[in-house]
Amino acid sequence: MMIMFKLPGKRLMKWSFMNKNKNQNKIKNIRPPVYIARSRQTTESNQTGTWRVMAPEYEEKTAPCSAACPAGEDIALIQMLTARGLFKKAWEKILMENPFPAVCGRVCYHPCETFCNRKQFDKSAGINLIERFLADMADKNGYQPGFEKPEPKQEKIAIIGAGPSGLAAAWFLARLGYQPVIFEERSEPGGILRWGIPAYRLPADVLEKEINRIKAAGVEICCNHSVSGSSLSDLKKEYNAVFIGCGYGQSRQLNIIGEHFAKDGLKILSELKDGSIKRMQGRALIIGGGNTAIDTARSVLRLGADPLIIYRRRKKDMPAFFEEVNAAIEEGVEFLELYGPAKIESKIENSIEKNNQGFQITLQKMKIINSESENESRARVEPDIGKIKIITASTIIKAIGADPAQVWYNPFAEQKDILELRNVVINFDESDLPVIFGGDLAVKTKSVVDAVASGKHAAMALDIFFNQGRKRIIEKMNACSVGQGASFSFETYLNKEHRPHRMSIVAYEQINTDYFIKTQKKIGPKLPPEQASSNFSEIALNISEEIALHEAARCFNCGICNQCDNCFIFCPEAAIRHDQSEMGRYINYDYCKGCGLCVEECPGNAMSLIKEEED
Amino acid sequence: MKLVLEGSQAVAEAVRLAKVKVISAYPITPQTHIVEFLSDYCANGKLNAKYIHVESEHSALATLIGAASAGVRTFTATSSQGLALMHELLHWTAGARLPVVMAEVNRALGAPWNVWNDQIDSLAQRDTGWIQLYCEDSQEALDTTIQSFYLAEAVNLPVMIVLDAFFISHTYEPVDLPEQDDVNRFLPSYIPKFKMDTKNPCSFNQMSPPAVFMEMRYNMQLAMEHLLQSFPEMEDNFYNIFGRRYGAVEPVMCDDAEIILVTSGAVTSTCRHVIKRLREQGEKVGLMKIKMFRPFPEEEIRRVLAKTSKVAVIDRNFSFGVSGIFAQEVRAALCGMPDAPVVFGYIAGLGGRDITPGTIEEIYKRTKRDQKPLVNSQWMELREVDYAIECC
Repeated sequence: MMIMFKLPGKRLMKWSFMNKNKNQNKIKNIRPPVYIARSRQTTESNQTGTWRVMAPEYEEKTAPCSAACPAGEDIALIQMLTARGLFKKAWEKILMENPFPAVCGRVCYHPCETFCNRKQFDKSAGINLIERFLADMADKNGYQPGFEKPEPKQEKIAIIGAGPSGLAAAWFLARLGYQPVIFEERSEPGGILRWGIPAYRLPADVLEKEINRIKAAGVEICCNHSVSGSSLSDLKKEYNAVFIGCGYGQSRQLNIIGEHFAKDGLKILSELKDGSIKRMQGRALIIGGGNTAIDTARSVLRLGADPLIIYRRRKKDMPAFFEEVNAAIEEGVEFLELYGPAKIESKIENSIEKNNQGFQITLQKMKIINSESENESRARVEPDIGKIKIITASTIIKAIGADPAQVWYNPFAEQKDILELRNVVINFDESDLPVIFGGDLAVKTKSVVDAVASGKHAAMALDIFFNQGRKRIIEKMNACSVGQGASFSFETYLNKEHRPHRMSIVAYEQINTDYFIKTQKKIGPKLPPEQASSNFSEIALNISEEIALHEAARCFNCGICNQCDNCFIFCPEAAIRHDQSEMGRYINYDYCKGCGLCVEECPGNAMSLIKEEED
Repeated sequence: MKLVLEGSQAVAEAVRLAKVKVISAYPITPQTHIVEFLSDYCANGKLNAKYIHVESEHSALATLIGAASAGVRTFTATSSQGLALMHELLHWTAGARLPVVMAEVNRALGAPWNVWNDQIDSLAQRDTGWIQLYCEDSQEALDTTIQSFYLAEAVNLPVMIVLDAFFISHTYEPVDLPEQDDVNRFLPSYIPKFKMDTKNPCSFNQMSPPAVFMEMRYNMQLAMEHLLQSFPEMEDNFYNIFGRRYGAVEPVMCDDAEIILVTSGAVTSTCRHVIKRLREQGEKVGLMKIKMFRPFPEEEIRRVLAKTSKVAVIDRNFSFGVSGIFAQEVRAALCGMPDAPVVFGYIAGLGGRDITPGTIEEIYKRTKRDQKPLVNSQWMELREVDYAIECC
């Protein structure tokens, strides 16, 4: 088709040779060949890479969800693996950083979703729901973690308290090759998970399975074995380190007349679990605004009582998790804001006639004293003198917070040799033996996932201490930091070759939202409130695969390569080449002229454009 | 099958019958209906084509350059500012010898904003190397669209089917919709003469030095000339199947005419009625419709106009500083011809103003009255502007 270049000649001559012997009219109707510029020469000699002043590179970054997760779970990757149906791999990624996927999939307050970039696009991606889904899948299919067996270590570590922090510390120590022993004063392990969280949020068998996995990893749990201040000294002699994760078990006092008439919220929750309370009737007043107050109110509602929560600030000031407060409202728990207890009296003589309204509580009206202009997250209040309210009730329950049960649970009780890390405090005694305080004793936010993080950090710190000495603890741990967040990656700690995530956190503006479509956020199925409030069945039902895949696909996968190949498609120089590496591709800098199209078109900001250093 | 269709749908139906593989367009009044119909056809499976959404007309044509380079039949539609935005790629399409087909709905160019009919948008692109075919009604637009794929693929040049805004695009007329089997007979599957092919890798349109560039341009002119010569043969084939023929130029009652009116596009229909009436009154008047503007059928125009003494060209466009563009082209075609007729230029109907039978009768009267034109162009029916009030 292409005719070779000849010097300019007369009209028609170039193609008339095709039709030499025909007459003039016919020649006119012969279609001229198409003369276009076409080359079969390679252009590889033109190394456009020499033009480059900026260079793109594959640079994975930290997703804001991971940075916000106290356990530092690699959420963007977990979501991506889930979206591809690689459920076991995704579940193992959770387990890598958190031994409680089934527990956290139910009770975590999921700060990850609060910081999700997608929130600025439509609604945050469902993350907590995926954790629950993967835990369900693991349970259904009997997944066993395929972690490498560690080399056995010599050091012996005692752990006091089989709550979430102690269990987590034991799990991660076992993963590092240690054989930790947990001493638990009660008859069963689990701590707050077993005794404090009602079954409608966390069924007992779910917890049991998670604890069994921890035991199977080589953790010994000695129940009915309490440790006192004096027996602690014996432990120190026998073990190379002690972890104290005893929690805040001592309820705070109201310090009012008639205090002894008020029952303890934590104790009620515990008695509910061991079966010693089965029913409750009449009006139940719950004083407090934390998670224990909400859990207690919702529990007594299920026992048959009529709960009223009394809080001295406003509902929106409550330290309880927002979703829990909302669930309580939906179930019909009543609230009385801006009242504090002043006095409790028994009216037991009249109680038979008056429908067992055995107690009378005098409430003091509170008023907010910070002005509108003061931008405080929580209202400050003081008594509004002269204004009181009297209420009668069958049961009065206090749940205004808790403290450590023993003086020696406080890491700062004595002036000692102290090393403070994120979520753990280490005391070194005279012989340099570390005593680590974790869980509620050391974390800022009293939650399950923070306790898990605390246990993990303790295990990492001890491993560094035993192998490299005390001085390297901070430096070594910081190298495993997830973003600039408050968590450390156990995976990075185990494996220096672990795909490095740069610490910089992906901002919403760095996401190329052209590649995403606004979609509805799907939530997991729940029992309707009227049905849920009548018994202790779990409210949150199993998540269908369809919902899980939908939410996993909504994830932006911030900062990680999701193999979309946009870089390959858009590169004008065909400088993106595929290979067998984990990333699956590399940049051929002989031809990359640094235009930055690949970086611009990367949906999740897994690439960066870096100014090249001059030679 | 006879159907009453909107002009836009007539074009869309032709594109469907031509089994186009890739469509890319950006909506602009008055063209939008065409691609709306086509996107419907793509969505509901009536047409098995890839419809590619883009953010501008420039990208629409760039997309088709890519698709046509890969060797498939392609179509777009645009109008006015949209066509102007495509300008550099119009040159590229023709130079790359890609048989892209476009429906161009004639609309005035701003400023000021105006969405109505005149021809300046397409005529401003006359030197881009595109074949331009002006249509008189919906049937002609439909037939010409089918023919355009045939022509474009025969000579490897892009084709612009030009139809008047609203007068054709938005008007419902009875249209004879061809059967798919008949269209298949007239327009076989597209076999590209060259295409991007990983089995035969090569680069196209690379830097070409002065030593070869002129020959490539000359080759385009050869293609234009070949098209002009083979147009009647294509029309014969079309006529044999569908029974309709239009001609690059259509003379109406020109044989004994002393004055011949020259038109293009929808105004031709009005003109047909006017000359019929004038003939009844004994006036020796004819009409020459120009369908093909690029390549320009000079020889045929000379032949039609040779025996007349006066020619009145009605231009729905204007080249500022000179005259109406069709008048200019006709003058150039007649230049040097012995006893060439005198050419009168009339400007009418800009920005959607009606050209009524009265306007055309007035044009005829003036042409008959004057021995020769006093000015290059006479602007018809200009409204009196009160300069004191309306001007700056």
